[in-house]
Amino acid sequence: MKLTRTLVLTWATACALCTILWAQQFQFNLDHLAAKASDSVDVSLNSGMLQFAGKFLDGKDPDEAQVKKLISRLEGIYIKSFEFKEEGVWSQADLDRVRNQLKAPEWSRIVGTRSAEDKETLEVHVRNQNGKVTGVAILATGPKEFTVANIVGAVDLDSLADLGGHFGLPSMEKGTEPQKKKK
Amino acid sequence: MDWLEDELKQALGRKQPSPDFEARLIAAAAAAGRRSVLRFPVLAMPRWLAAAAAVLVITGAGAGYRHHQGEAAKEQVMLAMRITGQKLNRIQVQMKGVRQ
Amino acid sequence: MLQTGCEFTELMREHRAMVFSVAYHFLHDRELAEEIAQDVFLSLHRNLAGLQSAAHAGFWLRKVAVQRAIDAARKRKRRPQVALDDVAEPVARAAVADPMLGETLRRLIATLAEAPRMVMILRYQEDLDPAEIADLMAIPVGTVKSHLQRSLALLREKLARRGVGEK
Repeated sequence: MKLTRTLVLTWATACALCTILWAQQFQFNLDHLAAKASDSVDVSLNSGMLQFAGKFLDGKDPDEAQVKKLISRLEGIYIKSFEFKEEGVWSQADLDRVRNQLKAPEWSRIVGTRSAEDKETLEVHVRNQNGKVTGVAILATGPKEFTVANIVGAVDLDSLADLGGHFGLPSMEKGTEPQKKKK
Repeated sequence: MDWLEDELKQALGRKQPSPDFEARLIAAAAAAGRRSVLRFPVLAMPRWLAAAAAVLVITGAGAGYRHHQGEAAKEQVMLAMRITGQKLNRIQVQMKGVRQ
Repeated sequence: MLQTGCEFTELMREHRAMVFSVAYHFLHDRELAEEIAQDVFLSLHRNLAGLQSAAHAGFWLRKVAVQRAIDAARKRKRRPQVALDDVAEPVARAAVADPMLGETLRRLIATLAEAPRMVMILRYQEDLDPAEIADLMAIPVGTVKSHLQRSLALLREKLARRGVGEK
């Protein structure tokens, strides 16, 4: 009886942990921007929804086939994206609140670009555990836009890079080595 | 309908915008595409659609509702992939600009 | 799923008068109405993949046009005052053919508060019934009917004071 109870509790804890582990990997804390946005996107797809959606993706369509393959190994996709009519709606504090979470040891920034002309910032961070990729974070900001994306799971970086080649876009170049963060 | 309502119908008849409206719009849409500016659709579900979905469930049309849900989930996935693809493409463009 | 390209152009041509007119009659400002209409169609352009049919697009466009017009009015933070002083006095009781009456009515509509103003536009420009208006504006049907009733009464009163009315 005691053993059964222990097993049940262990199983329940493991399930809860799985849920926590495979949910969003960092907090966005951006709800206050939604009210000020002229356009916004909120995507929240957990493992179950991704698997469900995958059944409706057409394997004969090149774009959908690529996406189907990519999401087969994912545990979640979470995106918040805002567009504003005026500049100055979002603040550096909003960006720092997200960035600070990506300074944790398991995260590495692999790409960071800043355009002085367009006042745009773009960053890609990768989450590593035991030598394997377990998540990707993308931050993109401009004077009138703010986007955060978290792709959770065994993200295939090559496939993700290939994504740039779909939907009519040119491919992203591969081969950028992850940088170890200096503490 | 009485005389006032007839007058209101006439007074509030639809009017066309300026003759160059279409040309300006097409140009603006093309410019928006060229800039690869982040423009993401708002997939807010209209109330009538949510209500229709609820009716399907209530009347037991489970298969139809499930298909609808699946298509909606698929659209969300494709949207997410478009967003991600656009951002990664933007990074590539900027990186190329730095190297040149 | 709608595609971009020619479907967008077709939708724009089919619905541009509707979108523009909702904004124009609501704001009584042609330039601003054009700006809003452009904005609405650019939103359509971005949302095309998410729309399910041409009919859905029409409903969507109307809803977004209503929202954007109301947003624009709130940003202006003013209600247009009765501009009847700017309009020539009608010299006789109006028959249906009075060319000034249309402009008078449009100006009077523009002086209503936001909600009844939009209700009147959706009723008499778009020929929507109260239930459809209630659904689009996300307000109770009773409120829609009340707005219609009171607005019509107010218009009758204002027109009567100016000697305009049913023979």
